[in-house]
Amino acid sequence: MSALKFLLGLAAAVLVQFVGVKLFPDFPRVVDVFLVVVALHAFSGNSLTALLAGLLVGLLEDTLTGGGLYGLYGFADTIIGYSVARLAQRLVIQRATGVLGVISFASLAQQGIVVGLALLLLPSPPLPRPLWVGIKALGCGILGMLLYAGAARWTRTYESRRRGRMSRLRMG
Amino acid sequence: MDERRTGWLLIVVLLGQLVFLAAQVPSAGGSGTYLQAIGLRLVSPLARLVAVVSRGFSGSREDLRLREGLIAENRSLHREVDRLRLQLLRLEDLGDEMDRLGAAVQYATPPVGQIRAADVVYLDHTSWLRTLVLYSGGTPARMNQPVLSPAGLVGRVIVVAGPYAKVQLITDRAAAVGSMDLRTRRQGVVRGSGGTEEALDLDYVPLQADVRPGDRVVTAGIDGIYPRGIPVGTVATVEPGGQLFHRIRLTPLVDFGSLDQVYLLDHLPVPAEVKKALPRVRP
Repeated sequence: MSALKFLLGLAAAVLVQFVGVKLFPDFPRVVDVFLVVVALHAFSGNSLTALLAGLLVGLLEDTLTGGGLYGLYGFADTIIGYSVARLAQRLVIQRATGVLGVISFASLAQQGIVVGLALLLLPSPPLPRPLWVGIKALGCGILGMLLYAGAARWTRTYESRRRGRMSRLRMG
Repeated sequence: MDERRTGWLLIVVLLGQLVFLAAQVPSAGGSGTYLQAIGLRLVSPLARLVAVVSRGFSGSREDLRLREGLIAENRSLHREVDRLRLQLLRLEDLGDEMDRLGAAVQYATPPVGQIRAADVVYLDHTSWLRTLVLYSGGTPARMNQPVLSPAGLVGRVIVVAGPYAKVQLITDRAAAVGSMDLRTRRQGVVRGSGGTEEALDLDYVPLQADVRPGDRVVTAGIDGIYPRGIPVGTVATVEPGGQLFHRIRLTPLVDFGSLDQVYLLDHLPVPAEVKKALPRVRP
């Protein structure tokens, strides 16, 4: 079930990326939907699946980016997935602002890893502007927070409806 | 699996990826990997679907908006066609003359390639690792095939996955195009400036060379990938760089934001045997 949810989330992320780029050319500079999928999946706390999810999503993201090296995002997202899962095992993140903080920091870390790798492996790599790095981190945080809050709300509503239905069944 | 084993797995996966990345470095900006081709094949149909739907929407909206201006535009296009026909006659005459003169001195002109259209299904031209994915239909694109737009050079194919192909834009920092100043024929190498703005650098032009803002830069046909004469950009600024070379900034002729269709140039590349005999050059 968790794998299915993850795959659906990934398919939705790919679709959002394509539609976003079509509608707003600056979309990939402002938000990284793939990172949000990795981070939200890692909140489950299962470090193994988070690691594998990060690897898969990162490599997929690499197919949609240039730069000359394939695997930069695969490497970065593997670390991010694992780290966020380990963090989720130690911290109970319930507030939406907490999610914003974690995902924003994860985005900063991911961009840092990608830039670091590019500096190590490419002779004169392109570098993003610090302002856009910050904007992207914030964009990822906000998107993650909205999705997390939306999912939590949907789960609460679903649970209360289910409980109501069960109690009506018992009374009947 | 316990956390300790997962930690070891993480280390193994990361080391594997580092080896994979390092193995690509000699061909950075060069050929793509099978893994990348598989990924491209998986996600590109969705990108094409989004592109087709979006084109349909914007097309019908555009139809409604432009209907009133169509008659006037039609008249002006007719005038333009007449003018271009006259120009074509003149150019054909000049071409014949050039062929006659070339034959007289036994000059072998390089064969002119055919072009075919391809749809842009995904374009990220704003982020620092920019890319373009195209759909070429029945005949797949070829590795290193030049990609053009009516305005000039767009880039070259670096990954082919069935009818889809990933293109390295000339504004990519890893891209390099052998080019020349059209006015002075001085050659250099055009690279993406690497910033978030769409600009190009013309490198390795010595300080004593005459290069001025406004000069047109075209491909020089020296890199074995791009044939000579494809427009690349216009010189925007010329500054003294180091002790040897100018620092020349170009403005690309192509507006990458408005690309929805590009052209693949089918020309004869430099034969592999000839390339092997040359010292290694990384385009």
